[in-house]
Amino acid sequence: MPLHDTHADQNLLHQLQQSDEQALATLMKQYYADLYSYGIRFTTDTGLVKDAIQEVFISLWQRRNNAPAILSFKYYLLRAVKNKVLKSLHQLHHNTPLADWQDGYPFFQEFSIEKLIIDKQVSEEKAIAVRNTLALLSKRQQEVIYLKFYQRLDHGQIAELMNISRQSVYNLLHETLQKLRSLWQAEFVK
Amino acid sequence: MKDFRLYDITDFVIDEDFVRWVYERRPEDELTWRNWLARNPDKHLLVAEARTIVQSLYIAPPAIDSGEINAETDRLLQTIHQQPTAEPAAPVVPIRRTRWRAAAAILLMLMGGACWYMISHTTDRENYTWESMTATRSLIEHVNTSDKPITIALADGSALSLSPGSRIGYGNHFDTGSFRDVYLSGEAFFEVARNPDRPFRVFANELVTKVLGTSFTVRSFDSDTTIQVIVRTGKVTVYSQAVTTTRRSATDHKPGEVILTPNQQLVYEKLGHKFQKVLLDEPLLVVPRMKEQKMEYEDASLIMVFSELSRAYGINIVYDNELLEKCTVTADLKNENFYHKLDLICSAIGAAYEVIDGQVVIQSNGCQ
Repeated sequence: MPLHDTHADQNLLHQLQQSDEQALATLMKQYYADLYSYGIRFTTDTGLVKDAIQEVFISLWQRRNNAPAILSFKYYLLRAVKNKVLKSLHQLHHNTPLADWQDGYPFFQEFSIEKLIIDKQVSEEKAIAVRNTLALLSKRQQEVIYLKFYQRLDHGQIAELMNISRQSVYNLLHETLQKLRSLWQAEFVK
Repeated sequence: MKDFRLYDITDFVIDEDFVRWVYERRPEDELTWRNWLARNPDKHLLVAEARTIVQSLYIAPPAIDSGEINAETDRLLQTIHQQPTAEPAAPVVPIRRTRWRAAAAILLMLMGGACWYMISHTTDRENYTWESMTATRSLIEHVNTSDKPITIALADGSALSLSPGSRIGYGNHFDTGSFRDVYLSGEAFFEVARNPDRPFRVFANELVTKVLGTSFTVRSFDSDTTIQVIVRTGKVTVYSQAVTTTRRSATDHKPGEVILTPNQQLVYEKLGHKFQKVLLDEPLLVVPRMKEQKMEYEDASLIMVFSELSRAYGINIVYDNELLEKCTVTADLKNENFYHKLDLICSAIGAAYEVIDGQVVIQSNGCQ
């Protein structure tokens, strides 16, 4: 993934700087599904996620003068949504210190085995075995997989978003892929 | 430029371009990867495995429809209308402006490059029209102005069927030179008499199809954006004159040749100088006597069935010998088409198959 955003995004951010409301609406529509998808990894409360996304775009509007300085817009939005959602969740559970919470925040991940069965014509048993393997991954491994394969962020962005080193991102990714490889290995030959 | 030849499975799985190909299947990616696989046939299984891993990591998009997103967008616009307009902060720093100018300059240069490329490219294509191919040669020509294909017999014992609106030409030395060269504009089906010492070449625009003895169709109308070569029997080599010239001037590499086997079709995009190898939708039996042979199997070895199938259609089937050693098949395949036959066999042994670069790749756990 390129570090800089596409020209289309940059143009929209420049229009936003000129107080163009339609540019704001276009940006929201464009990124809504991705942000919503990320938000609901942390909570089942969809209303809370929608409010968090609203707040992120309101604060983007308020700071629109600096909008063109945002280098990777998608990364900026994902990070803002994550912070807002985790903060709201923390406020709902007063007793947990924020630091503790941020280490152990939840991450819900479902992998769609139906697609695997249909596209690859693999047996249901095999697909379930894959799903079970993925379900046993740690929360952080699941988040790395999610950010890498769903949001398609680069390793540097994943590291920053998760507050871990690039090496940790690579290690988490590698462990997961090793597990999957041994699962599929029987089906292929070197 | 990445060197995918050095990639192991994990490298492929985490490569952005590879992931995009597997998930989005954009036509331009399909073409790039199929070409890469054509040049690196030893990487098929590696790529198939990497694809499976990426596919098993697929995450479905969230259950939110465009109606809900529109409602949320309206809500946002309402909120910002109710709020007092924020005081504009300091104007944009000059540094950013400079950067913009630099970006614009690069863009202009790129656009300039694109124009130059298109100009040179057009000239390039004009080199390979019928007129330029035949201008310096004195040829015996046949033009089919009727609405039915006409059959033409050549001096070497080969024959061709020339489609309506097509023309073919060959030199006086057709039967004596070191090559048997013919020039085609339009479409023709060739049945070439075998002669290993004197390859038969069909020049159609920039594409050259070279054979020793076989039957195949070349379709190359000036008005088409593609040139197609379809092989019925034997083996043919196809290369582009355009690619040859460019490559030679640059790196002195061997020209990119594509080898086609029966039931494979080559589609060459004139504009992008790109090859794509595909399997025919309805592969035909290439060994006529196999038609009579009954394709009924009872407890037959799967490997034997695959090798018969492969021979009957001339299509390569890639699988793991050791794993499939114990598999047996009981099936009646005689009235099924090629893909249906594969479906039946694969469902019987719980396997799957993929068509990659004109070959069938079988994925299976093996049998007990």
